[in-house]
Amino acid sequence: MKKCTLLVVGLVAALALLVGATAALAKPFKIGMVDCYSGPPSTYTNDVRDALLLAVKKINAAGGINGRKVEVLTRDSKFKVDLGLAAAKELIMREEVDILVGTINSALALAISDLAAREKIPFFVTFSKSAKISGAKGHRYVFQISENTAMIGKAAAEGLAKLPYKKYWIAGDDYEYGHAVAQGIWDYLKKIKPDVKLLGQSWWKVGEPDFTPYITAILAAKPDAVIVATGGRDCVPFLKAAQATGFNKKVPFFMHTATELATIRPLGANAPEGVIGTSNYHFYYPNTKANKAFVAEFQKAYGRLPTVGALYGYITAQLIAGGYKKAGKVDTEAFINAVEGMVVPSPVGPVKLRAYDHQALLPMYLGVTKKVPMYKFFIGGDLVTIAPENAAPPVEAIKKARGK
Amino acid sequence: MDATSHITLASLAQQVLVGLSRTTILFIVSSGLSLILGVLRIPNLSHGSLYMIGAFVTYSAAVFIGGSTGFWLALIIAPAVVALLSLAVERGLLRFLYDREHLMLLLFTFALTLVFGDLVKLIWGSDYRSLTAPPLLQGSFDLAGLPFPRYNLFLLLLGPLVALGLWLLTNKTKIGKLAKAAAVDREMVAAMGINVSWVFAAVFCIGCFLAGLGGALVAPTQNITQGMDHTIIMEAFLIVIIGGLGNMWGALLGALIFGLTDAIGILVWPQFAIVFPYVAVVVVLVFRPKGLLQSTW
Repeated sequence: MKKCTLLVVGLVAALALLVGATAALAKPFKIGMVDCYSGPPSTYTNDVRDALLLAVKKINAAGGINGRKVEVLTRDSKFKVDLGLAAAKELIMREEVDILVGTINSALALAISDLAAREKIPFFVTFSKSAKISGAKGHRYVFQISENTAMIGKAAAEGLAKLPYKKYWIAGDDYEYGHAVAQGIWDYLKKIKPDVKLLGQSWWKVGEPDFTPYITAILAAKPDAVIVATGGRDCVPFLKAAQATGFNKKVPFFMHTATELATIRPLGANAPEGVIGTSNYHFYYPNTKANKAFVAEFQKAYGRLPTVGALYGYITAQLIAGGYKKAGKVDTEAFINAVEGMVVPSPVGPVKLRAYDHQALLPMYLGVTKKVPMYKFFIGGDLVTIAPENAAPPVEAIKKARGK
Repeated sequence: MDATSHITLASLAQQVLVGLSRTTILFIVSSGLSLILGVLRIPNLSHGSLYMIGAFVTYSAAVFIGGSTGFWLALIIAPAVVALLSLAVERGLLRFLYDREHLMLLLFTFALTLVFGDLVKLIWGSDYRSLTAPPLLQGSFDLAGLPFPRYNLFLLLLGPLVALGLWLLTNKTKIGKLAKAAAVDREMVAAMGINVSWVFAAVFCIGCFLAGLGGALVAPTQNITQGMDHTIIMEAFLIVIIGGLGNMWGALLGALIFGLTDAIGILVWPQFAIVFPYVAVVVVLVFRPKGLLQSTW
């Protein structure tokens, strides 16, 4: 009798173990994406999501992450911090996601980063340009894939320093991104070219409906060149006003992402020519096999050309899959140890995730907007590659920013 | 270097002209708002949404027809579509609410902004659109050594025409006179055997037509996007308030103050230009809390 009970208990225990094991095996690996998928920012964020989904499809076809099928859950933040944070919490608590990915809104990215630190869930930032994410407010659980304002500033200053301009005017969006980019460029430009002079500054509100009075006022001041620190949806109307006033023909100006497909494509054949811009990615450059294959695959899947967001989404997926593969198990701490300093292949060549600050080191391309017969829209011409070592702030600067 | 040394008579004159073209848009939109406010006594919060719809319809019509003709026709089609939409709203919903208190009407028009916002999302999606002006209005010409965009000149010429049209409408036509009378005493007008309900419908339609026209006119100069309704409705209300509620010429005066302080502020003190028009509003309200001109309320 006693023997029998033992047998039953043993059987039950074995069964439970088996069920548990298969349950763990069958339980998908979950990636939770929170980003703004409605309104103007979706121009940028849709490509992050779609490239990541495409990469995940391939990862699943190759057996998933450590044998577990990868599932991607997306939530729309509507560019609102409270909505996005609630979605991130829901993904962690209810869906029990293993990884969080997002977002274009810097304030939300920083808020989710705080949450990720508390919950010990890795969070990959895929579009926010805030230098605080991997800088002053960086921690073990946050990773920044997109370039940040410090890197934009250094890359742009490197490029501008080579041009013969001395008297500058700064104009931009009156919010964090605008001021951070302008500050980043100006501080570094002054350091490497001390004889530059700042004639004045103009700051407009985000979503400014009419840039013409700003441009005419800047032209009246006759600077040698202008640094335009405007981002996202304001780029297009600004370039439109620049075209209407002939701004680009009178005074050269720099604008981050001016050469980026997402910015320049909506203007079609009617874009201002010769605007100096920087971007992490162009579908036509670098002209390598890896990039061509990436573009072809993306275009086949979605019927459109990939913009810079697609690169961020792709690299994020590669790091997640690569990190867990190297760790050999689905364990957050082991994953982070494995992914720190990892180099993954990408359409722009091998990209390293810097171990100290978890910043992906992407090359930056500086060029000018140019009309070519091949496309119905402008592209970036005369592209110069700025190596990531020259653009990213040194580890010492990060340590200083974190007060260490 | 002195920060203000670039302010010459030429640059100031140019800035005033640029400001005046912005004023045109502000005037067209806020005069419509003021008209409805004056006659129907409705603070129409959805006025901005109609402006947004006007811009989106302009985009679709211009792209659908194509070429320069597309743009010019869209300038007529879009306001007409907006006017028809507003007629449907007025006849279908709004006319049953005229006796209600202001708060109810305010809530109703607020609800409309949400409905219209979702309508735009449903039809055009959440992406923004961009429209190019016809070649005739592209580029700029030289004005005392400084560039002046052709499109701004077009707006400058159009502004007075719209103002004249509105003046003729309110002073020389029967509907205008009836509307004026209804604004003062609607019971009396009704007692004269006039169908006030239809006067209201017509006025609401005309006011919304102006919102649609404003949206159509800005379409080639900016992003056509969700959220463009919020910016304009706030500015339009401020203009109507400083001009005097319901007073059309007040709307013109308010738009002038708003547009010009904005443009000149940008030239004189570009770092803090954002605050200039709002400071002007505060100054006006401190000295004339009921607005510059006679309010019809």
